[in-house]
Amino acid sequence: MVETIVLKLEKREGRGTAASRRLRKQGLIPVIVYGHGADPVSAAVSLHDITLELQHHHKLVDVELDGKSEKLLIKDVQYDHLYDKIIHVDMTRVNLNERVTVTVPVVLRGTPAGAAEDGVLDQLLADVELECLVTAIPEEVRVKVSDMQVGDTILAKDIKLPQGSVLVTDPETAVATVRVIAEELEAEAEVAEEGAAEPEVIAREKESEEGEES
Amino acid sequence: MALMPKRVKWRKYQRGKIRGNACRGNYVAFGDFGLQVLGPAFITGRQLEAGRVAATHFLHREGKVYVRVFPHRSVSAKPLETRMGKGKGEPDHWAARVRPGTVLYEIGGVAEDVARQALARVAHKMPVRCRFVTRHHA
Repeated sequence: MVETIVLKLEKREGRGTAASRRLRKQGLIPVIVYGHGADPVSAAVSLHDITLELQHHHKLVDVELDGKSEKLLIKDVQYDHLYDKIIHVDMTRVNLNERVTVTVPVVLRGTPAGAAEDGVLDQLLADVELECLVTAIPEEVRVKVSDMQVGDTILAKDIKLPQGSVLVTDPETAVATVRVIAEELEAEAEVAEEGAAEPEVIAREKESEEGEES
Repeated sequence: MALMPKRVKWRKYQRGKIRGNACRGNYVAFGDFGLQVLGPAFITGRQLEAGRVAATHFLHREGKVYVRVFPHRSVSAKPLETRMGKGKGEPDHWAARVRPGTVLYEIGGVAEDVARQALARVAHKMPVRCRFVTRHHA
C-alpha cells in the first residue's frame, strides 16, 4: 500500500457547466462533498493529485478542507465520453468506524486445469460489491482458478473475502467459468446464413389492420 | 448475409447528422479490452461482421469477442444509371450509427498483447479512426 497524499480541496463559488469548464482549464477538477447530514460542499481539487490517488486505487483519502483535515471516501468518478479525462468527483464524509458498501475489482489468478482440454476461462463478473470497514477496503479480490475444469463455474459466494468483509452482490452470480467455444462459433455462422432478405415492418402491419377495419 | 434487424418500425429513414458524443456504451463492460471509435460514423453490417470474423480468426477460438453495436438503421440507395427524382431509393444495407467514444468490440480471456493485435486487425476494417482501450476498474 502506497502512502496517501493529502488532497487540498478549495471551496468553489461558481456552479454549472461554464464554471466547471473554467476550473478544468486551470488544471482543477470539480468535487462535491456530502454525507452525514451536513450541507454539501462544492470544491475543487488538483487533477494531478486526484489522478495519483485513483491510480493507486485509493478509496479513502486524506483531504484538507477549510483548514481542517479529514478523511473522505471517493464515491463516484465521472469521465468524459472517451473515458480518458476525469471531469467530476463525488466524495462522502465517513466515520472511521463506519461500515460502507464499495465496489472492488475481481482478479482471477492462475491458469485453469481445463485449459489443457481447449477450455477457455471467461470472467463474467469484473467487480463485486462488499460491505466492510471504511479503513479496511481491499484493493482487489483475488480468485484462484487453477483447479477449474471445463464446465466449472465459480459463484460469488465461493470467493474468499478478506476478514470483516461481507458480500453484497447476489451470492449466486457467476464470477468465472471455463468452457469450450468451438460449438458456439458454428451456431453463429448458421444463424447468419439463415437471415431474411428484408426485416418485417411493424408500421405496415398496423396500416393493413386499419384498412381492413374500415 | 450481413447483420440486420428482425423487425423494424419503418423501412426507410432520413439520414440526419450524428451529433454529440457517446454518453452510453462508451466503456468496456463485458471483456477486458475494447475498440473505441474516435469519430462519428455509420458502420455497416458487413463491416461489423468483417471485424468480428477478423478478431475470431486471429484469436484461434481463444477468448471471447463481444460486438457491442448492432446495425439498426437502414441506408437506402438508388439503382445505377437512374435519373434523379421518382422518390427515395430502396433499402440497400443496414448500418449502426455510432458517436465518438462508442465501444464497438470487446475481447475477454486473452493477454493484452494478443487483444491489441486482434483489435488492430479489426480497426483496419472500420470506416473510422479507432483506438484500443482497457477496462476501467471501480
